[in-house]
Amino acid sequence: MKVKQSKLFSLIMYIIIFLLVLPLIIIIIWSVAKSWPWPSIFPNAIGLRGWKYFFKPTSKSIIILLHSVYLSMIVTIITLIITIPAAKALALYNFKGKKIVELLIIAPLIVSPVAVAMGIHLFFIKLGLSNTFIGVVLVHLVPCIPYSVKILKNVFEITGESMEMQSRVLGASKLQTFKHVTLPIISPGLVSAGSLVFTVSFSQYFLTFLIGGGRVVTFPMVMFPFVQSGDRMMASVYSIVFIFTTLACMYIMEKITKKYYKTEGYFYIN
Amino acid sequence: MRKAVLIFIALTLIIEITACAQQKVAQYNLSEKDWNVVLEEAKGTTVNFYGYGGDQKTNNWIDTYLSNELKEKYDITINRVGMNIDEILNKLLNEKQLNVNNGNIDVVWINGENFFTAKENDLLFGPFTHKLPNFNQYIDKNSVEVNYDFGFPVEGYEAPFGKSQFVMIYDSEKVKNIPVNHKELLQFVKNNPGKFTYPAPPDFTGSAFIRNIIYDIVGYEQFMDMEADEQIVREAIQPAIDYFVELKPYLWKEGNTYPSESGLLDNMYSDNEVVMTMSYNPNHVSSKIETGEFNETSRSFVFDKGSIGNTHFLAIPYNSENKSGALAVIDYILSVEAQASKYVPKTWGDLPVLDNSKLNHEEKALFDNINIGKGTISQDVLLNNRLPEMPADLVPIIEKIWMENVPKKGE
Repeated sequence: MKVKQSKLFSLIMYIIIFLLVLPLIIIIIWSVAKSWPWPSIFPNAIGLRGWKYFFKPTSKSIIILLHSVYLSMIVTIITLIITIPAAKALALYNFKGKKIVELLIIAPLIVSPVAVAMGIHLFFIKLGLSNTFIGVVLVHLVPCIPYSVKILKNVFEITGESMEMQSRVLGASKLQTFKHVTLPIISPGLVSAGSLVFTVSFSQYFLTFLIGGGRVVTFPMVMFPFVQSGDRMMASVYSIVFIFTTLACMYIMEKITKKYYKTEGYFYIN
Repeated sequence: MRKAVLIFIALTLIIEITACAQQKVAQYNLSEKDWNVVLEEAKGTTVNFYGYGGDQKTNNWIDTYLSNELKEKYDITINRVGMNIDEILNKLLNEKQLNVNNGNIDVVWINGENFFTAKENDLLFGPFTHKLPNFNQYIDKNSVEVNYDFGFPVEGYEAPFGKSQFVMIYDSEKVKNIPVNHKELLQFVKNNPGKFTYPAPPDFTGSAFIRNIIYDIVGYEQFMDMEADEQIVREAIQPAIDYFVELKPYLWKEGNTYPSESGLLDNMYSDNEVVMTMSYNPNHVSSKIETGEFNETSRSFVFDKGSIGNTHFLAIPYNSENKSGALAVIDYILSVEAQASKYVPKTWGDLPVLDNSKLNHEEKALFDNINIGKGTISQDVLLNNRLPEMPADLVPIIEKIWMENVPKKGE
């Protein structure tokens, strides 16, 4: 019975993986296909125009990619720093207006930030934050924070506060408790929240566009014009790089956390 | 204590805001400047070039040829930012509203109704073209195409960059008799049902196709000074609207759906889904053949009553911080070398804006020796069949009338 179930399970898994990977394979082929009309199974002609352009130093694609990763990393770190206490408070404590605070934090998921982006832009111009790196980082926090709070809140709800209390009772300081007890316990949650925040920040197009004003150029900004103009080869090249960059960053994040909390966190990450 | 800190932060913010609002950048006085002074000021600076970024060849031309030449000649660094014109205008409008005088756009690639919007809202710096040596030397200052942009007077607020013209693209293997007017096109589509369609407006190319058909049916002259009134326009284009309705059942998917963008139509053409596509760039066909997206047998044609052409321009935003740099760049783009390099289909294939009669023998030869590539119509034929664009304020009205009458009928 058990064997049968696991076979069924793996079959479903394989189907899901296939469905996820198939579009990826298609864009990989498109990235080198000059022309690929129906009903040919394989492209008629192969070329490296897209990849050549991508790796050409004058297109600045690689520099922009690295810069974009750097920006999203900073956004991820700041988001996590802000949301750990917020998520903890929302998960474990009761206070006046908790529901309202929760609603406000989730608000960017309900009302798209794009809708308020114009207002933010005007405000940022006044503050001198438009067209700056800091401005873009700040505006990325808007769509990122709700996801992180949501995930970490669940983590705190599961782990509770008992371990931290124990550590305090045994004489550890607040900082020691946070460093040696809280962080290791929530580290798996940090990885998932971090990965999601990174992806959300990395894919921001409109907000970066408006607030960065072209001074801060991120990867989606050079990618979207190609997607829009219907140049399938260029669009595929940029999409592949986009996907693999996010995957690589997630992988690295997970590895680092795993390594750091090797002993404490092993039963959370599989 | 905490409260005190909060109040302190709030106060500094308020002070910051008021301080920012009051900043003013020194006026840039162009009329008093000698061209050499402009070049001197431009030296060693960076010029931010904003414009459409979805064409790999155009991007490449700016990033390589233009960048290198400007670096070498004037020590100017070009920073190209690919941004759609709507977003650029939004940004400028926001900045204008708040009196921001240190914007970061130095050169903007613009034309048509966007230029109209920008000029009406005082978003542009100018007039400046009279200062450019190459403009004075090579451009025909009496030309309608230089003085008017989609029917609006340019008045020196933008300098011509290149010319485009609407062409139809077909596969010569599959289409033997080219339909050279709207009647033949209707017959052609009836004979080949499901093999032709056009992008739905407000797509730029689709909208141009509709205008071209309108010109073919009712002529273009009456639109040049037509009042932007829906009733008047509707009456004028009624025969054309009837034509589109008649055409509709024979289109791809019986005309119930249209490609939303010309890029999609191009892809459908390269996938053999349809046998014709269209472009506002006469060199489109040869560049697509070169990238391998279109069949080697692809060719282009224009209707015998002519096809719509327009000029695209370069302007300087009012709050550019490097106006001298921008002027130097625009002037260089108007030089013979730059225009010739831009015209080579391998690099970009954009029609030059220079006045042929102002070029000397060698300069003319430079253009004549350019191999215009497969499938492209020669410049002479294009220019002889060139019709002016409609005034920009009629365009949205026509798009609206099309929207109300064509896709809905027969549902």
